[in-house]
Amino acid sequence: MTRALTGLVRKEFLQVFRDRNMLSLIFAMPLVQLILFGYIVNTEVRLIDLDVYDFDRSETSRAFVNSCRAGDYFVPQEGVPSILALDERFKNGASEMALIIPEDFSTRLQTREQAAVGLIADGTGANATAIGLGYMGQIARKFSQRELGVTPPVDIRYRFLYNPEAESVYFMVPGIVAALLMMITVMLTSMAIVRERERGTLEQLLVTPMSSTTLLLGKVIPFAALGLFELVFALTIGVLWFSVPFVGSPFLLLALSLLYLLTTLGLGLFFSTVTTTQQQAMFFAWFFSVFALLTSGFFTPISNMPQWMQYVTLLNPMRYFVNIARGIMMKGSGITELWADTYPLILFGVSIFGIAVARFTKRAA
Amino acid sequence: MNFVSVAHLSKSYGDVKAIDDFSFEIDQGEVLALVGPDGAGKTTLMRLVCNLLVPDSGTIRIADLDVAGGFDRLKEMLGYMPQVFSLYLDLSVEENLIFYAGIYGVTGARYRQKRDYLYGFSMLAPFARRRAGDLSGGMKQKLALSCALIHDPQILVLDEPTTGVDPLSRRQFWEILSEFKRQGVTILLTTPYMDEVARADRACFMFGGKKLTEGTPGELTGSFKGELYSLDTLPSTDLIKRLNDIPHLQSRRFGTGLHVNLDADLKIEDVSEALRAAGVDPGHLVPAQAGMEDCFIQLMEQTGD
Repeated sequence: MTRALTGLVRKEFLQVFRDRNMLSLIFAMPLVQLILFGYIVNTEVRLIDLDVYDFDRSETSRAFVNSCRAGDYFVPQEGVPSILALDERFKNGASEMALIIPEDFSTRLQTREQAAVGLIADGTGANATAIGLGYMGQIARKFSQRELGVTPPVDIRYRFLYNPEAESVYFMVPGIVAALLMMITVMLTSMAIVRERERGTLEQLLVTPMSSTTLLLGKVIPFAALGLFELVFALTIGVLWFSVPFVGSPFLLLALSLLYLLTTLGLGLFFSTVTTTQQQAMFFAWFFSVFALLTSGFFTPISNMPQWMQYVTLLNPMRYFVNIARGIMMKGSGITELWADTYPLILFGVSIFGIAVARFTKRAA
Repeated sequence: MNFVSVAHLSKSYGDVKAIDDFSFEIDQGEVLALVGPDGAGKTTLMRLVCNLLVPDSGTIRIADLDVAGGFDRLKEMLGYMPQVFSLYLDLSVEENLIFYAGIYGVTGARYRQKRDYLYGFSMLAPFARRRAGDLSGGMKQKLALSCALIHDPQILVLDEPTTGVDPLSRRQFWEILSEFKRQGVTILLTTPYMDEVARADRACFMFGGKKLTEGTPGELTGSFKGELYSLDTLPSTDLIKRLNDIPHLQSRRFGTGLHVNLDADLKIEDVSEALRAAGVDPGHLVPAQAGMEDCFIQLMEQTGD
């Protein structure tokens, strides 16, 4: 049994490393994804183009516009044409927000009346709009404090506890690692088994003394190893290139990755038992990966989803692993803190793997 | 005691009877060929023998073991070659051999000795590092056979091993089979080629899932009924139809000419008038020796009636 198993594992690696496309995919995928998510998907909002319509034209109003420049949040555009052209400017992307300062701005401030400024935002980028409004609120608060020497009754101070710089790449990397493991293992495992069925080699193997357990292990071990390699590879790039902090225990992460792999390999195995061609297997794997990615809390916080959708996310193993990876890397969480995300993975992994093995051996026999 | 004994085997797919009450036996060291056209049920029968399909009824015993219950104990002594080339195309010739040898625990010096022995027959040694996918059809089949033989099986089950293989490779292929037969390996194979029947010890003709007849190649050709004549003229479908309208006479294409089969108690003179009427000069008909194909067609037409 062990001899047949080593032979099978060896053969599987030979096949993976012989396929140049597959090989470059295995190495390029973590790199490309890290670069894409690390550089492009940036949830920070900076340098918002701000059209300024200053009807007051006073020293005070100019000081207010200047204070908008601080912190690189806004790029005020003065001397813009009529406010009637604003709609056009939003449409062609010349501007993202408009600040309107009324004529009585300075007079009202001098008489200590409440002064108002108008802010019009192109709401198509909801996230950027919300963040822009927040910045403007801070600027206005600081301005009134400085100009009038008044401290607003409520002073909001905030600090990101675990990601003080609010660098999106820091929380993207653990998510990418979870996504990579999912895509690589589910897709490769299901395709490798279906390929044997498609080519007829499975039939050939079934008349050999190799047991279905050996066959199964021979298929699972190489892809588990590849998955772990991807994990280490992606994390190394994350830490060395993007300087992502790694606060917690790498060993705990590795151990819980094995648990996560149990679920993804189980899924791959399961998909291989319900499909007959590599194309079908790939579509199943692809479809599930998209579902898993979107409901994992990787892009959108789960708490922002409708209640029924939040229940659906409970069926997504990636959701738990994203929490685990973020917890270990950014907060240094231990197993006690992560237990709430660990036991669903155990449940999910054992059941899907069990179902898949049962289906596999039944079909193989 | 027969080495292989198949009794009253039946297998249906829905309403289609793929195998219908099929029985045969093979002695140890004997080569049995199952012959029939595409769709006769050859592959189904092979898959049943290899426990890849479960029969609706009937039994298969190999080396005194029931395939249905004792297949695990049979696996070590069985070498199987499916109809489609099913080795790993992205692995080299040698890697395929190592892989299959490894499954059976044939490693180290024993593997190398076995490999070189098989290379001696297959002439694949110069291509050891070539990927299986880049081999010619004949080389592929020889590699598949080598993989099936790497663990010294006692019985070989080969499903259309020579289909689509060039004549030279076919001959080499049969030389390998004869060598292993000499060593006492029992061989069950299927073929759509009538000329390969002569190389087997015995053959079963099969059609529509049923066994038409079985016997040694001599017995099969000897079973031909009636007199056979050949006509060296390019036949039109119309001519065949007119000839077949003559009572006690069947005709069909053979190569570029015609074979005319006359019932046993008749002579060519008895139908010369009818032949002339059909447009054939009876003098052009030359007596011919019935081949395997003639026998098969005759049996097939008889069952069809």
